[in-house]
Amino acid sequence: MTGDAPTLRYRGARYAFAPGESVLECLLRHGVDIEHSCRQGVCQSCLLRVREGTPPKEAQVGLKQAWRAQGYALGCKLAAHSDLALDIVDAAPWHEAVVERVERLSPQLGRVWLRVPETFAYEPGQFVQLSRDDGLVRPYSIASEPSQGRLELHVAVAPHGRMSQWLVNARVGTALNVRGPFGECFYLPGQPEQKLILAATGAGLAPLLGVLRSALHNGHRGAIYLYHGSRHAAGLYLWRELRALASEVPHLSVIGCVREGEAQTHVRAVERLEDAVLHDHPALRGVRLFLCGNPEFVQRLRKRAYLAGASLDQIHSDPFVTASR
Amino acid sequence: MSEVSLYEQLGGEPAVDAAVDVFCRKVLADERIAQFFDTVDMDAQRAKQKAFLTFAFGGPNHYAGRDMRKAHAQMKLTEDHFNAVMENLGATLKELGVPDELIGKAAGIALSVKSEVLNK
Repeated sequence: MTGDAPTLRYRGARYAFAPGESVLECLLRHGVDIEHSCRQGVCQSCLLRVREGTPPKEAQVGLKQAWRAQGYALGCKLAAHSDLALDIVDAAPWHEAVVERVERLSPQLGRVWLRVPETFAYEPGQFVQLSRDDGLVRPYSIASEPSQGRLELHVAVAPHGRMSQWLVNARVGTALNVRGPFGECFYLPGQPEQKLILAATGAGLAPLLGVLRSALHNGHRGAIYLYHGSRHAAGLYLWRELRALASEVPHLSVIGCVREGEAQTHVRAVERLEDAVLHDHPALRGVRLFLCGNPEFVQRLRKRAYLAGASLDQIHSDPFVTASR
Repeated sequence: MSEVSLYEQLGGEPAVDAAVDVFCRKVLADERIAQFFDTVDMDAQRAKQKAFLTFAFGGPNHYAGRDMRKAHAQMKLTEDHFNAVMENLGATLKELGVPDELIGKAAGIALSVKSEVLNK
């Protein structure tokens, strides 16, 4: 026994913690095998349940109300302190999934379709966690609409991305596990005349495509603007598909934005995606916005949209935070 | 005899909620003071402004003189900065149709912490 050294309890064992560290950091430092990914309170991989005591608000950001009430919290945002009793979570059980199709759109991007159990309910635009055989867990956003039958995910291939490299090279029939859904970036029916602005960088297009499909599926009648930003025009993946959709749906506008390269029809050359959005829509009162992708972009546009009149609860966002290791 | 408090006269928390977005946008767009609100975390920013407005409305608050001094000590605020916030507070309440008499009372509460805020 270590006497009075401050410890936290986890699965029956006690772990001494260092000042200032999070529960996740403490457990990892002691070699406890615990799922985690972003370490920034976004991906929800390190979900834990606090058995004794009330978790602080900041450790419960983004969790659904029912979970917050039951003491669930994110280990990476939970400050370690004495006699914190934790449980491993089983709130979101894992389901078996099978790779049904893989499409490589570019060296940097792939689309993967998964077959999941029919009972797996979700809203397009939410995200799931994928778990591989070796326990590696990563979050991916859902681009498909449930009536499409399969889960469509967009995979940005990172140079050293263990999950992304593996996913885009996975054979049809490969088994993995999926749990969720998580997140609040999805279309809620109601106010079908409201103007919608969807803006994403890179693979942030995936949840927006989900939101778009969901809005159209639910008969949204108000104008919908979809902005997709990338460094080069080559990064505007699914461009032709989106343009084709825009020519079929009169109230949908699809606008590309590139930082490098020339402007073309429907493609702007702008330094920052948010400049194009605010240039086109200087007044945002009463507008519903969905912002996804690069976290700095999401934060900047969220602030500017708020200052331009959008109310914070009408701005749905899904910042893509890269896994820390 | 119990008197109706300023907070109640102004409409309590719903009134603060109505005012906070108007006030927040004014303050963040005011070039004289925007530099002090240079954060992208709008939820935290909104929460801070709400606490301030609750205080100025004479409502339940956790503001204490020492905290006020400590919170603003590093910002090197001047009389002009303080006045800019006061202006925005007045303009916000005016915009929401609050009678001048009550605006004056709220301004009085905000003024009461001036020396702490300016670290004098």
